[in-house]
Amino acid sequence: MEQLTTSLVPPRPSNKTAPANSTQQVAGSVAKRLSNELMTLMMSSSPGIVSIHRFVTYAAHPHSSLKSAFPKSDGNLFEWVGTIEGAPGTIYVGLTFRISISFPPNYPYVAPTVKFETPCYHPNVDLAGGSICLDILQDKWSAVYSVQTILISLQSLLGEPNNASPLNADAASLWNSPEEYKAQLMRHYRPIKDEST
Amino acid sequence: MSTDALRSQVASKWQSSFLRINRNEPGITGLLSFSQAWDVATEFVRPKDLNVEKPKTYDMNVVRAAYELVNTSRRLPVLLETFLDQVHQKFYLIIDEIEQFILKYEQTSDPQVISKLVSRMLLWYKTWMPAEELGPTISSAYTLTFQTRVFSALDSSFVQGFKTLCASTLPPSDPNAKTPAPDSALWEAFETLGLLDRYESIIASVGYEHIEAHVLANCAGQWAEPMIEGLRTWMSVKIVPWMLLMYARGATNTDDARAMLQNVGSRFDFHMAKTLCDLRAREIFDIIIDFPESTGALQDLKECLQRVDQRAALVQALRKGNRKRLLHPGADTRLILTQYVATIKCLRIVDPPGVLLFKVADPIRRYLRERPDTIRCIVSNLVGDDDSGDSLVDESEPIQPLQQPELEDYTDPHWEPEPIDAGLAFRTNKPSDVISTLVSIYDSKDLFVKELQVLLAQRLLAITDDNSEKIEKERRNIEILKIRFGEAALQVCEVMLKDMTDSKRIDGHVQSQKSSIVHPTIISKHFWPLLETSDIIMPGQFQALQKEYAREFSTFKPDKKLRWLPHLGTVHLELQLEDRTVQADVPPLEAAFIELFSEKNVLKIEELIEGVGSVDRAAAVKALLTWVDMGVLKEDGEGMFRLLEVAEEPSSGARETARSITAAPELLPITSVQQQQAEQMKVYWKFIEGMLTNLGSLPLDRIQTMLRFAPGYDQTIEQLGTFMEAARREGLVNVKDGVWKLTQNA
Repeated sequence: MEQLTTSLVPPRPSNKTAPANSTQQVAGSVAKRLSNELMTLMMSSSPGIVSIHRFVTYAAHPHSSLKSAFPKSDGNLFEWVGTIEGAPGTIYVGLTFRISISFPPNYPYVAPTVKFETPCYHPNVDLAGGSICLDILQDKWSAVYSVQTILISLQSLLGEPNNASPLNADAASLWNSPEEYKAQLMRHYRPIKDEST
Repeated sequence: MSTDALRSQVASKWQSSFLRINRNEPGITGLLSFSQAWDVATEFVRPKDLNVEKPKTYDMNVVRAAYELVNTSRRLPVLLETFLDQVHQKFYLIIDEIEQFILKYEQTSDPQVISKLVSRMLLWYKTWMPAEELGPTISSAYTLTFQTRVFSALDSSFVQGFKTLCASTLPPSDPNAKTPAPDSALWEAFETLGLLDRYESIIASVGYEHIEAHVLANCAGQWAEPMIEGLRTWMSVKIVPWMLLMYARGATNTDDARAMLQNVGSRFDFHMAKTLCDLRAREIFDIIIDFPESTGALQDLKECLQRVDQRAALVQALRKGNRKRLLHPGADTRLILTQYVATIKCLRIVDPPGVLLFKVADPIRRYLRERPDTIRCIVSNLVGDDDSGDSLVDESEPIQPLQQPELEDYTDPHWEPEPIDAGLAFRTNKPSDVISTLVSIYDSKDLFVKELQVLLAQRLLAITDDNSEKIEKERRNIEILKIRFGEAALQVCEVMLKDMTDSKRIDGHVQSQKSSIVHPTIISKHFWPLLETSDIIMPGQFQALQKEYAREFSTFKPDKKLRWLPHLGTVHLELQLEDRTVQADVPPLEAAFIELFSEKNVLKIEELIEGVGSVDRAAAVKALLTWVDMGVLKEDGEGMFRLLEVAEEPSSGARETARSITAAPELLPITSVQQQQAEQMKVYWKFIEGMLTNLGSLPLDRIQTMLRFAPGYDQTIEQLGTFMEAARREGLVNVKDGVWKLTQNA
């Protein structure tokens, strides 16, 4: 009986445009969008990385520090791994964080799930689970956002936390005393190891 | 041996037969009168040889009485059999005649022979036809026998002739020729002889062939106007009356005739549409070339395609045409693009949903992607750099932002499902503008933006004089392109344009401090495409001028330093020789060489090259030949050049006019992005970099499979290995146990 009722429940309003039982067609177009995003992300000039022509500068612009993402395996375009470097001038400078991005089948109508894999001591990040409290990943999500905008937002979130709605109250309270904060940060931080996949 | 029983049986049979025939007449008078009547009757129906016997007239009363008699004796069936036997026996007469006619036809090929044959057969048929009084049984049996014998006698030559005969009754294609008067007698003869039913398919094929011939004669190569209306009119005026004769025979009024014609009429109409469609499909490549003069043909095609399902054939024909005539190394990229754009426009007329276009465009797009100069072609067209004929872009088309392939918008109230013959990869592309379509050949518009920068750089640097209109023109172009590519993409171009105006301003300032004849264009290195570097050192007075200018510049802008690109630009020279002055606008290398001659009259080419620092020997020879052409230098022996202080008599005499030649600099040597291979490898490198950044270290085969995400990746794993090895030598990656990772400090 319960099965019957659940199947009678109309799909959630947010799914209106792309029904949950998305057809092959829709999955195909999501894949297309994702591969386009990958292309844009890869082709976007990423200073800070030496290009093959070796004519690159290091500018002290926050956007120039490393941020990148790539599908985890060649078979699944819906699970990505990302890398974010703390921007210069912030307390996170020099630290590199690994994140996971997992796209729902009705992307981009629904936001992807983003999590920190590297433990991240931050007012808006759950230290244990890695969940992130960021408005554009929740209620403010819009289909015009992309992996690139998510990466930029996360990078700036590192430097400018929203202490009003902390997931990690401890970190929020320490934010104003950088020395202690840094100590806590470093205590939890684990540098990225080469996990041979 | 006969028994009594048998004997009595025969006797009773005999008796009854006798009684029947004798009809109870006294004695054998009945028998006598019967045999008289039989004679009359058989004589009456006897098949007569038309060539020998005159048709006799019979006293119908006698004949009728005779038949009456035969009938009462119940001998009519026997009479019928006898008659049919006679028909068979005499039929050789007809067959002889048919053979003669056919022989004659084979010699003359005149359909009139067949016509005569038919009327002759009709005469035979009618003559031998038993009188109506004998009832329908006998006449239908006769007709059957007659037709069977006739048909068996008619061979393939007759069929041939019959076809020709039918065709000759058709209205000729030539509108000036007179339509033959409808020969209804002939058609009646056909019908009476049963030829119509037997040869119906032949008659129909005559009609089809006629329509085909007419369509081909009147429509081939005529693309300006839609033909189909004219053809339909022609059908109803010329063909329908012809059809009436055979398909609507026996129709009493027009409604009847219409009903009878409906079926066959629509078959003929279909055939016409199909013929026209096939014709247009064959011509489609040339129709597209002629577009927009060929709009009529396209409308025809659209209408025909709705009537007959020849879409696949059309696609095939066009793809074949493209493969054979367009997508080969002999065709200019510009030409291919033009044809592609025309194809888009044409097929949009024929098939608005774009399924045909999608199928046809695919190979063209794939081919264009492989061409190294496609981007350059498109971009130079975008900036209106077309000295070569018409622009790809319709000027009346509004400029609009590039359209990215969008997800399907299911909330669109005008949404329509994909057409039924759409392939799997088909995406409903809303009619987008031509430029968007062209740009979408490539997966990223960045390539275009890069090429645009290169092109702009070339064009800006080619502006020699103080020519602000040209800069304005470029600015206008860039503004238009901003609408297409977006503001951000063209920022670099903006800077380049600004450099041009800034250069002028700075130059104005420097000149006001200390006047100089050097007018440099000062460019910001970071925003310009890589310019080919050169190691030329300008000798003598040029260097002095440069240094002087650089000094002034650094007092004006202390934080910046000028680095000369001495090989770019032009120099206006006035050479004062003993007997003449030569004026010339030349590239710097030429100027440098001639400067060296101011100290010494004869120089070796090696000395010259040394004098300007270092330069490619081929370039040096070319520069020197410019002066040789102007009659200023002369080559004395191998690699020796001498200044001609006194002009030599030009041997050819034609040089006199070319006193003040402008040795135009060639296409500016900018490291072009057009080397697709390198560009593609750069794209792949970004992907490799991306995956190594995020996934740590990977073995080669994993990199190879992950590169599947890079659009158009087609390298083998060996090629990838070589590439990675090259990257390792550059210090970008390192490898350990077959696992690659990025160098840490990268």
